[in-house]
This record gives sequence, C-alpha cells and structure tokens, in this order.
Amino acid sequence: MKSPVKYFLSLVALLSGIFVLSSFLSADWSVAPSFKFPYKKAGLTERQAAAHLLSRFTYGATPGEIDEVVKTGLEKWFEQQLDGNMPDDSLTTLLAPYDAMKMTNTQVANVYPRGGQALRMAIKDGVINKDSAREDRKEYRNELNAYMASKGLKPMQELYRQLYNQKVMRAAYSHNQLREVLTEFWLNHFNVSTTKGDAAEFIPAYERDVIRPNVTGKFGDLLLATAKSPAMLYYLDNFTSSGASANQDNNKQFQARMKAMEEQAATNPMMAEMMDKVIKGKKNSGLNENYAREVMELHTLGVDGGYTQEDVTQAAKVLTGWTVYPMSEYGGGANTMQQLARIGDDDKLKAKGYYHDGDFLFTPNRHDNAEKTVMGKKFSPAGYQEGVELLDMLAHHNATAKFITRKLAVRFVNDNPQKSLLDKMTKTYNSEDGDIRKVLTTMATSPEFWSASALREKTKSPFELVISSVRSLNATITQPYQLYSWANKMGQRMYGYQAPTGYPDKGQYWINTGALLSRMNFGLALASDRIPGVKIDLAALNKNREPESPEAALLTYSKLVMPERDVTATVKQLTPMLNDPNLGQKVAEAASKTPPPTLPAAQSDMMMSGGQEMMAAGAEPKEPKPNAGRRNGYQAQTNNKGNNTMLAQVVGIIVGSPEFQRR
Amino acid sequence: MTSRRGFLKQGGIALFGVGLMGGIPAFLAEAAASGNKIINPFQRRKIMVTIFQRGAMDGLMAVTPFTDENLKKARPTLFMTAAQGGKTKPLIDLDGRFGLHPSMAAFEPLFREKRLGIVHGIGSPNNTRSHFDAQDYMEAGTPFNKGTASGWLNRAVGLLGHEAATPFQAVSLTSSMPRSFYGDNPSVSISNLQDFDIQMGGNKNAANMAAKSFEDLYGQATSSLLKETGKESFDAVKMLQKNDVRNYRPAAGVAYPNTALGNSLKQIAQLIKMDVGLEIAFAESGGWDTHFNQGTENGPFARNVADLSNSIVAFWSDISQYQDDVTLMTMTEFGRTVAQNGTGGTDHGRASCNFILGNDVNGGLVHGDMKPLIKENLEDGRDLAVTTDFRAVFSEVADKHLKINNDKKLFPDWKGEKIGVMKA
Repeated sequence: MKSPVKYFLSLVALLSGIFVLSSFLSADWSVAPSFKFPYKKAGLTERQAAAHLLSRFTYGATPGEIDEVVKTGLEKWFEQQLDGNMPDDSLTTLLAPYDAMKMTNTQVANVYPRGGQALRMAIKDGVINKDSAREDRKEYRNELNAYMASKGLKPMQELYRQLYNQKVMRAAYSHNQLREVLTEFWLNHFNVSTTKGDAAEFIPAYERDVIRPNVTGKFGDLLLATAKSPAMLYYLDNFTSSGASANQDNNKQFQARMKAMEEQAATNPMMAEMMDKVIKGKKNSGLNENYAREVMELHTLGVDGGYTQEDVTQAAKVLTGWTVYPMSEYGGGANTMQQLARIGDDDKLKAKGYYHDGDFLFTPNRHDNAEKTVMGKKFSPAGYQEGVELLDMLAHHNATAKFITRKLAVRFVNDNPQKSLLDKMTKTYNSEDGDIRKVLTTMATSPEFWSASALREKTKSPFELVISSVRSLNATITQPYQLYSWANKMGQRMYGYQAPTGYPDKGQYWINTGALLSRMNFGLALASDRIPGVKIDLAALNKNREPESPEAALLTYSKLVMPERDVTATVKQLTPMLNDPNLGQKVAEAASKTPPPTLPAAQSDMMMSGGQEMMAAGAEPKEPKPNAGRRNGYQAQTNNKGNNTMLAQVVGIIVGSPEFQRR
Repeated sequence: MTSRRGFLKQGGIALFGVGLMGGIPAFLAEAAASGNKIINPFQRRKIMVTIFQRGAMDGLMAVTPFTDENLKKARPTLFMTAAQGGKTKPLIDLDGRFGLHPSMAAFEPLFREKRLGIVHGIGSPNNTRSHFDAQDYMEAGTPFNKGTASGWLNRAVGLLGHEAATPFQAVSLTSSMPRSFYGDNPSVSISNLQDFDIQMGGNKNAANMAAKSFEDLYGQATSSLLKETGKESFDAVKMLQKNDVRNYRPAAGVAYPNTALGNSLKQIAQLIKMDVGLEIAFAESGGWDTHFNQGTENGPFARNVADLSNSIVAFWSDISQYQDDVTLMTMTEFGRTVAQNGTGGTDHGRASCNFILGNDVNGGLVHGDMKPLIKENLEDGRDLAVTTDFRAVFSEVADKHLKINNDKKLFPDWKGEKIGVMKA
C-alpha cells in the first residue's frame, strides 16, 4: 500500500525525470548558456546591456526589442543569434518575389547574359544586323529586348536590383540579425564586387551559399569555400591562372620540339606562323598571382603576416588549375564542356586527376606540377590537394588568428580594440580551430566588450544608419532599392567596393563633409515620408498617443528612437527650435511644397584597385522614377495618414543627429 | 585640431548676401565680430590638382620605350610601335625613344608646347606590390612607415603658410575622404557639389530650420569627429549658396568626357572659377588593374588613357584664365610587369610614369632614367626599376608651385634630390 507521501514523491521523481529529459530534447528551452555577460561590473543595467548587445549584433533595435531581449535573457538571446535559426516566415514571404536570388550560378549564367553577350547572340542568330546595331540605338534596343524576351533572357540590371533589394529586406526584417550582420562582415572581408563584370553575376549565390551558411563556423571552411567559388575565382582572376606553360618549360621533349621548330622557322614562313601561335598560346596560359597575394594579405595573414614575394609566386603555383566548371554552352565554356564529357562522370574525372565540386573545377592540365615551397612548407605535386593544404595552413597560422580576431573586434567592439581583448580572442581562435562562434563568445564575455571605451563608440556605416533608422521607426518598406540608393549616396555602395580590401571599418572613413550632409538629409526625407516606398507611422510608434506638446514629442521620440541612451543633450539643444512662433506655419509649408523626391544618382566610386571590368555607364539598375500621378497619390496618403509634420521634422532631426550616427 | 577655425583673419563678409541663416558662415561672423580687417579672403592663390589612378597604371604602355627590343619580346601581343603601317595605330613619337599611347593624342599639343612633362621610372622605394599598401604609403607619403596618421596632401595644407579663409581650401571630389587627405587640417570631400545643402523638399524655411537644428546639435556633439566635420559641412554649405552650382557651363568648346574623372575635373574647374579659395584638389580615376586582356589600340587600357587625357585636356581648356595658377599632377601606386602575363594583361610591378601639366612645368620632356629593359636592369628580374622616388617629384611640384619647401614635414624620412620637373 502506497502512502500518499510516497506517491507524491514518485510523482515528483517522474516529473523531474520528464523535466530533465525534455531539457535534453529542447536545448533552447531550458539549458542555460554556459557563460555570463559581465555587464554589471561595468556598471550597466540589464536594459542598458541589452541595448548594447542590440547595437553590436543587430542592425539596430526595433521598438520594444530591448524588452524582448531582457525577457529572453541576454545570454540566451546571444546564443539564439549565434544559432541563427529563429523562424523568419514573414521575411521569407517578403523575399518570395526575388526569384533570381534562388537560382544556381548556372541558371543565372544562362538567364542573365553579361555585357554584350545577348547582342552577340542576337547577331549570330541573324535577328539583329551587325551594322544597324551601331546606327540606330533605339531600334536595336527594342529588337534586342524582343530577342531577349523570346529566349527567356533577362537584363543584368534585374539581377542587381533583386540583389540590392533582398539585402535591404533581410537587414531590416530578419529575426536572425547576427547572421545578417556577419554575412555583411564576411562578404566585406572576402570582398567581391559588381564592378568586376565577370564576377558580378555570381555574387548572389556567393553570398547565399558560400558566405551566409558559414558565418559562425570554422574560419578554414569559409576560406576554402570562398577560394572555390566562381565569384572569387573571377574577381581575383585565379580562374585563369595556369601552370601549363611552366610545365612545358620543364618538359624536355617540348623544348626539343620548340627548338626544331625555331630552326625551321628561319626559312619556312608557315612554321614561323605556327611557332608564333604556340608562343601566344603559352602567353595566354600563364600564372596569375592576384588571388595568391590577396588571400595572404587580405583574407588570412595580413600584410605583415611574414610572407615574401616569392611566397606569393609559389602559392600562386600551388593554386594553378583552380577554376570554374563551365556553366554555359555559349562562349568559351563549350569546348571545356565537351572535353569533360569525353572523359566521363565525376569518378572518371577524379581518376584523371580532376576534381569537380559544384561550380568548382580543378583541371590537372593547368596545374603546375613542380614542387613548391610556401613560407617554408613544401608542397609535393598532389594536384587539388596542394591548394587545400595551403589554405588549411593559412587558416591555422598565428598571423591569421591575430588578423581575423582583430578585424572582428574592430567590427563589434571599437575602432582600436584593447590588446588584452585581442589576446583572449586569438587564444580562442588558436585553441578552437578557428571557430568563429567561440571567438565571438569569448569577445562578448570579456569585460572589454562592456567597457565605456566600447559603448556607442562605433560610427554607423551608411548602410547601418539607413537600416537602423527604418528599424527604429518600424518602417514598412515596399521599395527597398530607395534605401540602397541612399546608402550609396552616403558613400557605401553595397556589393560595389572595387578593391579586394573591402570597406575600411573606421568612423573616420565614413564621416566627411559631404556624407554628413547626406545623412542629415536622409533623416529629414525619411521622417517626412519623402522616400518613396518607405512608410512610417509616427503616431503608431507612440501607440497612437499624441504628445501633449512639442517638447513632450521631442522627449518621447528621442527615447523611442534612441532607447537607453542619454538624450538630455539632444533634447536641450532642440528645444529652442520648437519654440519658434512660426514653427507650425513653416513646417506646414514644407509639407505642401514637397516635390517628388529624386533618386540619388548612382555613384561610380573609384576605389583602391580599379577593376578593369567597370560597368558601362547606364548599366546601373534604375527604378522607375516616381511620376506626377504617384506624387499626388502619395501626398493624399500622407495627408490621410496625418503624420504630424512638426513631429516629422523633429524625428528627422533626431535621425540626422550626431547621437544617432553612433552605435 | 590645429587652428581649424583659424580661417579668416581677413574675412570677406561682403561676399555673402542672402542664403542660409542669414548666409554668414560661422567663421566669417566670428571674424566680423572680432573686428578684424576685412579684405578679399579669396585672393587668387596657386592651385595644385592631383589625380590618383587607382589600380596601378601600366606606364610602359602609356609611354612606351618603343625602341627597346626587350620590351617587344616580353610583350608579344601587347607591344605597340611608333612605326607607321603596323597592325595598330602608331604611338605618338615624343622624342625618338618614347611614344605616347595613341588614345592620348589630346596630350600631344601640350607636350609640344612644353607645358606637359612626363616622369618615367617613378615609384616608391618600398617594393610592396599590394595595391592597398602601395596606395597607403604613397598617399601617406612615408613609404616605410604605416603608422603615419596624416596624408601628404593634408600636411601640404598645413604648410601653405597661411590660414584657410575658406572650407574649400582642400577639396576631394570623392564620396569618401581619400587617404591623402587624412589629418587635422581642414578638408572637404564631396562627389557632387549639388548635394551640398540641407534639403527639405524645396521649402526654404523648413530647410533653414532643420539646418539650424543640425548645426546646433553637431556644434555640441561629444564626438570630435562628428563635431568638426559638422562644422565644416555647414560652413561649406553657406559658401556655395551664392553660386549657381547647378547650371554650370564649361567654357565654349569644352566637352568633358561623361565619366567619373571628367565629372570630378569639371567640378574642380567650377570651384576654381568660383574663386572660393581652392588650393589643393584631389580626384580619382579607376580601372587600371589590367591583369586580363588589357588590349592595345582598343580595349580597357586604351579607354582608360583616353578618359584620363581627354578629361585633363578639357579641364585645362576650361580654366584658360587660370592656367598660370594651376599645376596638375597624376600618380599611381606602382607600375606593371615588363612581361605580359598569361592572360593578355600585366601583373603588379614596380615603376610607372606620371604626368605633370602647368605653365611652370619643365615640359616637353620625358624625365627620369630608364635603362634598357634587359633582365639585369629589372627589379627582381621582372619589373621596371624605380629610378625616381615619387617624393622627389611630389615635393618639387609642391615646392615650386605652392611654395611649400619644408620637405622634412611634407615627407619625413626623405632626403633625396629633386630632378628638375619644374622650371627653376
């Protein structure tokens, strides 16, 4: 007979068993993170700490987000962000129209012809006359468009438009904010650029398949994935680098044949011509050091990482034969495709020393077979594996650990991170096999991360400013391209930094006279609803409670836009403006005279290493300019919705204020 | 920040009529209040215009030593000759040894008039072949010291010997501040002069009010970067008010290429003609990193040099009234390999060439010391050797044209000789 007590105890045991079991089953439910953020020692409240976390690991807090983070628990929130698996259904719906963003590289290559390729195809198919193409631009444009439509081809601008739009939407709306922030970080680290024509069309898949899935993984995996991606292979020219002529130089038979040819060439013009061809062929199948240099200087070791020019040349030789698997039967790929088809499937290719992995192809006939030495390490001829070993060596080098962790600290802590912090991060990098997630955890659990020298110390980049504004105002974005254009105008052209360095991560770089004015103008335009397709509802932001006075509005909205910040200075300085007796009249005038907004002109930024494949002027994607009808409709909408114009001006100034430029 | 607001011991209040907030820039108002004597602050000064060709220009194709058989051998498909009747348009024979690329024909008259000088074999003593590093060193002006915080043009501003009467003393026509302009002396970067305003949908009152608020906020900003930049911005805005920036028309017959460089130089000409006190200007030209199929008479390289020369010549014609005051100089971070690479292009090399244009230039000459391109004469056995330190040329231009002769400050660690690119 069971006593009630016993019964009760067994029930407790059973329940706790279930509890323990379930805690194993659902890690995010009850297992507490194994670390603690030391923000209290730095004198921060939990809410202030949450605001700091949001300023570092998101594109800016949305209204109420600080409460959510506190409710979730700061450490747990951070782990969720590192996991990057938060449901994102509404974002998925918003991204659904961007069909090109789901395409493989091969599909993109076959649907979005680059440069003059469509025209060449049309001429070849006899649809457009070669000579008329030059004479009547408009007519041939129409013919070309009709031809492209009939073949299911689309203009490259459409691909770019989708690329920029999805970037804005993800940054603004994703619940996996850290994943987006890190995607931008690593894309900038392993920079590729739309300004380099050959690489441009592969950027969507590069970001989606190469960068985003690896942002919190092992650095070495990320490095290898970028090295094998078409975007990088084209951007830094490695696709073309070949050791074939070096192999010929080392081949005695070939040398003897050449010598014989040379002797005959003296008297036989046909032989001379043939020899010319061989020499030219050789010259067109040579070594290109570009990637080898930048992978060491910019991706791994850093410029002071202890390598020499000879190491660069040797590394370039190791990486010869790393190229792109042909994607289109049009153009140069056709020959290679046939050659590969003759050999057979992947296993047969492998037996012949090839290596085929998705869009990547290693071709042994272009690989330099000599022994190489890079930074003291010998590479015996081993085809594809040599390159894998080289990248593995670079990923695990101490100079890389230092270089990468510093860059992360500059991004997430401040422009001049303390040595004590860097040492801890480097140690984690080295002991944890370059595990980015663990390095970030070390960083965020260090006191330096929470110290006064980190709080609000970063200057927002233009993209960060734009996105944090729309996030903090809960904007509804229907024309994300407008926001891309504004960031561009302030000096950050997404996906368009020409140099392999990527954008410098430094306040000084972003803040200059012209850019600062653009930031202020952006604030005014956004708050007064003058950016087409970006709508904000200021009343709703304050739960439709109308502030009692201009002063109350100023205080309320300063706190809403810049939560957990000291806004007294901003409020104090702006109060006199509100006391202007003509205020109401002035701002009302402003609203009624609002002309249709003009799009900022796309800039062609001249960056470090001018890629030669600059897009032709006019190749920038253009959104339709808002016409007069649109303007009227928009005005009516503004009036109906009744965003208080005084309020709009106040909020615009807050967004353009120095305090909001920082994070 | 050194005497950032030292602007204006001699203000020019009368120049500013209406406009933003009464139209008086803060620094002018201060000067007026302090009772300083007001004379024209924008007396004509000498102006140095610099163009950075990012990506490393192939100097051997821009100005080819066409009599050198070694080059012909090293560049089977890229070599061009000055001889008539070849496969490509002939080079423009400058002196029997060097030939100008045919796409730079616009330069020829200026060279013949001895106003355009060329230095060949120019480069950095630091043999890095990294774009980033080489540009950084060249723009900082200290080829062996990465820690130099300031850029050489910013130091030049500080060495002009007079305080700025205007925020437009040093202007970069770029959306971001170039490394050359980093530093404590005031400078402005702007890619489009028309953007220089607070815009409130065409409503002047509202715009003025917003501008006033921003000016106050930035004036009190705790971040000195934001505070100083804010102040500069508003001073600049006020100065442009009186000028009709939007409807600028270049001089009759002048057509700028519709390119980034063309637009930058057009706006520099605009600033020069507005007499807003410009002394040092900076512009950029991109696309010089020709690893792949750089072409000969046509192709990316030909397009680039056509843009460069046509933009510069348009600029020069546009400022015809000011030519005595202006010297223009190009620069690029390094040159390219003597031999073409396996992909119809050239890789990162060492020395390149540059162009200097002005009435006090020792023009009509290819300066420098280029030896025959045999292997023993090449740096690391592959690249055109640097025989002229870029600092020798930069400092000479700054000295002769802007009267900056403090080389110790302009180029610390440099003690070399000048080579006579400017008239004595």
